[in-house]
Amino acid sequence: MRKYLTSIILIASLSLGVSASAQETFPHNGPRDQRPESVIFTHVNLIPSSGQHLVDMSVWVEAGKIKAIAKEIPANKGIKVVDLNGKYMYPAFIDAFSSYGLKWESKRESKSQQFLSNKPGAYSWNEAIRAELKAEDYFASDNRQAELFRKAGFGVTNSLIQDGICRGTSVVVSTGNHPSHEAIIKKNVHSAWSFNKGSSSQDYPGSAMGAVALIRQSILDAQWYTKQTKQTNLSLEALSNQLKLPVLMEVENKFALLRADRIAKEFGLNNWIYKGRGDEYQRLKEIKSTGKPLVIPLNFPKPYEVQDPFDAQYVSLADLKHWEMAPFNPALLAKEKIPFALTLKGCDQAGEFWKNLRTAIKCGLDPEIALKALTETPAQLLGISNQAGSIKVGMPAHFIIATTDLFRENGKILELWTFGKQEVLDEENPLEGISQLTLTGLDSFTTIQLGSNERQEAKLIGRDTIPMTLQQANGSLILQWKKNGLNQITLNKYSSTWRGLGMLANGKQVSLEVVEAKRNSEKPKATTPQEKNIEIPTTLFPFCEYGSAQLPAKENLLIKNARVWTNEQEGILEEADVWIKDGKIAGIGKNLQAKDARVIDAKGKQLTNGIIDEHSHVAIYNGVNECTQAITAEVRIGDVLNPEDINIYRQLAGGVTAAQLLHGSCNPVGGQSALVKLRWGVAPEEMKIEGADGFIKFALGENVKQSNWGIYSSRYPQTRMGVEQVYYDAFYRAREYDAELKRNPSLRKDLELEALNEILTRKRFISCHSYVQSEINMLMHVADSFRFKVNTFTHILEGYKVADKMKKHGVSASTFADWWAYKYEVVEAIPYNGALLHQMGITTAINSDDAEMGRRLNHEAAKMVKYGNLKEEEAWKMVTLNPAKMLHLDKQTGSIKVGKDADLVLWNDNPLSIYAKPEMTMVDGVIYYSLERDAELRAFVQKERQRIIQRMLEAKQSGEKTEVHISRQDEVYHCEDEN
Amino acid sequence: MKFTIVKMKIKTTRTSLLTVVLAGLTLGSNAQEVPTILSGATIHTGTGEVIQNGTLVMNHGKIMSIGEEPVNFIKNAKVIDVTGKHIYPGVFALNNIMGLNEIDAVRATRDFNEVGDFNPNVRSLIAYNTDSKILPTAFFNGILFTQPVPQGGSISGSSSLVYTKAWNWEDAAIAEDEGVHLNYPDFRPNHKPEEQERLNKELEAIRKFFEDAKQYNQQSNPSPVNLRLKAMKKVLEGKANLYIHTNKAKAMLHAIAFFKTNYPEVKIVLVDAEEAWQVADELAKQKIPVILGTIHRLPSYPANDVDQPFKTPAQLVRKGVLVAISQTGSWESRNVMFNAGTCAAYGLTKEEALQLITLNAAKITCTAEKLGSLEKGKEASLLVVDGDLLDMRSSKIQKIFKQGEEQQLSNEQEALYKKYKEKYGLE
Repeated sequence: MRKYLTSIILIASLSLGVSASAQETFPHNGPRDQRPESVIFTHVNLIPSSGQHLVDMSVWVEAGKIKAIAKEIPANKGIKVVDLNGKYMYPAFIDAFSSYGLKWESKRESKSQQFLSNKPGAYSWNEAIRAELKAEDYFASDNRQAELFRKAGFGVTNSLIQDGICRGTSVVVSTGNHPSHEAIIKKNVHSAWSFNKGSSSQDYPGSAMGAVALIRQSILDAQWYTKQTKQTNLSLEALSNQLKLPVLMEVENKFALLRADRIAKEFGLNNWIYKGRGDEYQRLKEIKSTGKPLVIPLNFPKPYEVQDPFDAQYVSLADLKHWEMAPFNPALLAKEKIPFALTLKGCDQAGEFWKNLRTAIKCGLDPEIALKALTETPAQLLGISNQAGSIKVGMPAHFIIATTDLFRENGKILELWTFGKQEVLDEENPLEGISQLTLTGLDSFTTIQLGSNERQEAKLIGRDTIPMTLQQANGSLILQWKKNGLNQITLNKYSSTWRGLGMLANGKQVSLEVVEAKRNSEKPKATTPQEKNIEIPTTLFPFCEYGSAQLPAKENLLIKNARVWTNEQEGILEEADVWIKDGKIAGIGKNLQAKDARVIDAKGKQLTNGIIDEHSHVAIYNGVNECTQAITAEVRIGDVLNPEDINIYRQLAGGVTAAQLLHGSCNPVGGQSALVKLRWGVAPEEMKIEGADGFIKFALGENVKQSNWGIYSSRYPQTRMGVEQVYYDAFYRAREYDAELKRNPSLRKDLELEALNEILTRKRFISCHSYVQSEINMLMHVADSFRFKVNTFTHILEGYKVADKMKKHGVSASTFADWWAYKYEVVEAIPYNGALLHQMGITTAINSDDAEMGRRLNHEAAKMVKYGNLKEEEAWKMVTLNPAKMLHLDKQTGSIKVGKDADLVLWNDNPLSIYAKPEMTMVDGVIYYSLERDAELRAFVQKERQRIIQRMLEAKQSGEKTEVHISRQDEVYHCEDEN
Repeated sequence: MKFTIVKMKIKTTRTSLLTVVLAGLTLGSNAQEVPTILSGATIHTGTGEVIQNGTLVMNHGKIMSIGEEPVNFIKNAKVIDVTGKHIYPGVFALNNIMGLNEIDAVRATRDFNEVGDFNPNVRSLIAYNTDSKILPTAFFNGILFTQPVPQGGSISGSSSLVYTKAWNWEDAAIAEDEGVHLNYPDFRPNHKPEEQERLNKELEAIRKFFEDAKQYNQQSNPSPVNLRLKAMKKVLEGKANLYIHTNKAKAMLHAIAFFKTNYPEVKIVLVDAEEAWQVADELAKQKIPVILGTIHRLPSYPANDVDQPFKTPAQLVRKGVLVAISQTGSWESRNVMFNAGTCAAYGLTKEEALQLITLNAAKITCTAEKLGSLEKGKEASLLVVDGDLLDMRSSKIQKIFKQGEEQQLSNEQEALYKKYKEKYGLE
């Protein structure tokens, strides 16, 4: 690829030596000091852009630009000529995600209960929405900060304020030593976002799902803003102007990335870019399908302190594996052809960045793709391809000069040029490649043998051999050795020799001269991988304990001779067969035959429908409650599913196959539920039950009143009286909104009111956390007056006191078996509640609200037998068919009936017995849990942990720095939790 | 068994037939007035033995005889046919705050956490509220004995073993101040030096407290009186237990080494002890008994076997460790027998599982001379159950005898149930 062989291409500028970077509007203090700015580099190993390599080239830089590139450029007088002698020249790197130069301080005043933004002025109601910020307003060139970027090779950064959810626009700047006015390359580049409210001291959003809701509503508000004239809102104005810009969204992990992409798709926005965490390899398929480019860090974790087996327990398998696999992330993304740029973010030192980049290359990242990820790709993402990212005639001169091929050998970056201005970063080692020097001037020594480690340790050889050190400083060599005391002599360089005068320790004056004697024959070690030798560790689905490389497949099964609890009129069938085909129940009876079905002998075992938990909080990421407002109908649990919660697997081991994942209970109207099946290892969206009705959490009583928070609270409501008024007001507002929307389609779309309106129009159904009879009664009155039904009262420990009214209203009850006395409103809770509600003809379920109890819901159902003398089959329905009914899922699951989903559990005993254990749990005919599979996974978890721990110990022994690490365990959420 | 067991007065007066009839079900009198014969039941003695179709005779509050042989006639005796039922020893609920805590969320009803780091002198016994509404619900499920345990600080206080049914704490006491509770630091690794420093300080404070307590109690008439140090006397002499609360294996090993080396006479019991299975050999070797916390819990780490908490008791028992279990909390403790049931599903026999909440609990609290099993001469505090005590499917308590006297089983929860059934005209 030698494009410019002979011709010299001149560009328009004829002005020789006239600076293009004069600060024209600024006064001078004293005579001007403008220098000639024209230099020709000769003998350049030129990499003009990734995939191209021009050997022995000349490059002419003038007035901040590349003036010419050619094999030979005749130098006029007055033009500096620099012989690079085979050194490499690359385009300067571009960091698409930084905050270089921004004088923004993230100060957070800790306040409790702040409902609105503290920012004075006509800005967003929410302090985390800062669309009005322009990064350039905060930018100032900063030599101290720039050092890190320059040393790593970055000449250009995309600087954005990394604080808040909507962070305003970014600015592309040079990291060179230019006045701020000249460092700015492009303004208004990206609209920057994240899910993290940063220094906003406002309560809302208090959860991950709240952040999603806020982003959605803000985009809607911005769209509406342009169509209205009543008010000026500087945040919305800015945001509406940004809607056409590419969005650069910082996400904290792979699932947040997918979450962000769902928002982008909802609004039909294709120009989003995700700055990820570096864990994208864990969900390649889904991330590839977003079709969006990424910006990824090279912040590979250090090995952890794991030598003490007790302490090592605190490190999760996911973190162990991430240590091992993070260096493969870029290679794996490249393999999937997912476009990405690399950022310096996350590396505290240039050395760390390069070490990790070379590790990534060893792990299979093509060096050309690595270079592309540092140049062309970020240039494209920032829309500056004609200004940076390659070395082309006419383009600004942003490049680096390196000793050798940085991506294949351990070269050094010596210089960074930005806008044609040089920054010297490192010195070339004058002894590079030399192994031996001849010494004259000493009586007893004639030779210096150079050592290997940075040439610091050397040997002085003559009659004796003694150790010596060689140091370089400002082009000089300092020799030091011990003989008759300490001797030190400094030598200065004279083209091919070093000479120096000095006094020896014995007082004798000497004149020394050193010349090169031998060079190293071998080349420095290459870092290029040998493709065949790389073994990429297998990823796991889900990426945690009890995950597996391969998800279990749907099976056609014939379960023979089980005791089958049908939950249908047939009751319990003895010694019956159940045929499962394509995830559904295909046949029930005696002596069934089925071709292609795997036969499972279930003699002596009991087969039931899977347990359905009406009230669960497993698999929820970062906050179960959006407590910050009395009504948060706009937040959705479905936005924040965490398929890697180990408690999903534990629920399966307890026979649970489906659950309603509910918002917590800290406000009268909480968020929207997600109805999921416990498909262990799938992506978040695949957990959701397709076509399920929409549900929403309501709550009453002490939590809603914030009675037990231990702090003074000013949030309305603080009494049960206030709770009722919150509901009436909410539903009137929703009704009025709906009416207005019909008149005026350009009305501001309000996601909270839309959700409330869905309740009024019977498209969304309430599951209401409730305890005492007065408030249960109250909510039924509210519902009656708006002509809808409350779907379910959940917890409802005093339901027995108003069972007749509940029956009349037609509401279901989902209760705890025997909980009580944990707060004042449950002092009259009784374990007979479930039985009595059932006896009154109310569809009644037993729920968990807790990952621990969730996996023993069969025990809780059995308590209905103990306390209320319920028939066993009726008790069993309380954790299967009845919750299916109240979740409107009974057409597809909840009983063993031909055509229904094969969500089944095979037990070793009567499922209500304390001695019963699930031996197999399947969802849609996929066996996610079985004794055999569990035994394999247990063994795998331990083996895999030991394998990686051994590797970490080896890494530590080989001198790598380690860190103490305690893995974050997924929160076990309950209703009561404040977040 | 060196510390005093509070002696209960047992009336021995011979009573007339009329009195027997009138006595009927007594609410709180501890005096058994006539011999009672329970016949025809399956008797789970708590020693591991099961007697089919057995007969148990109670007299003067004690078990007079127990066995397969029918007892034909004892003068004035009341005979109760319990054919097909099961008889069990009264259940122990160790390591909980029943009677110290009425409603979790209402501060005024919480009496288990005193101010300060070293509080061995605070005694749960005198705060134990026999009129708690929680206690009858536990009693109803067969829990006759409980151990209210103070919480908080390094040393949280002294516990006693008490009856769940009594007129007042004095009347409730079985083993007064039978142990002091030490919360051991958890040895969690930390990258922050200040956290490491805090652990060292905590350990140093514990070390110093024991050293000072020993020195103090060696004096014949220490002055000035230090109630905190004084309260350690029985522990230091091995006359009361030192309950060491920790869940972490590393902490357990550290605590065992510390006390075995410096205070070999102290009787230590590990409590909560989630990770005890990791150090089972050492516990067996050093003969350290364990009171496990709630069995119905999630594993400590995602890498643990999903059923680890369920099988921990079996793993310890198989190594020869003396194990009791508990369900911590207050109202929750009424489910302790189902925790035992789970242990039977995960490696123990049902009779072994029963011992976790009866005889082993009695042994650890040094009350096995009179409680914990159905043996001749022991206290006649026992349960007649419809089915399997450990399985909620059939764990319906028919009768409870406390010191030979049949007890009323009703509680307010049941009363509310009846009230509303009546309101709705339900059967």
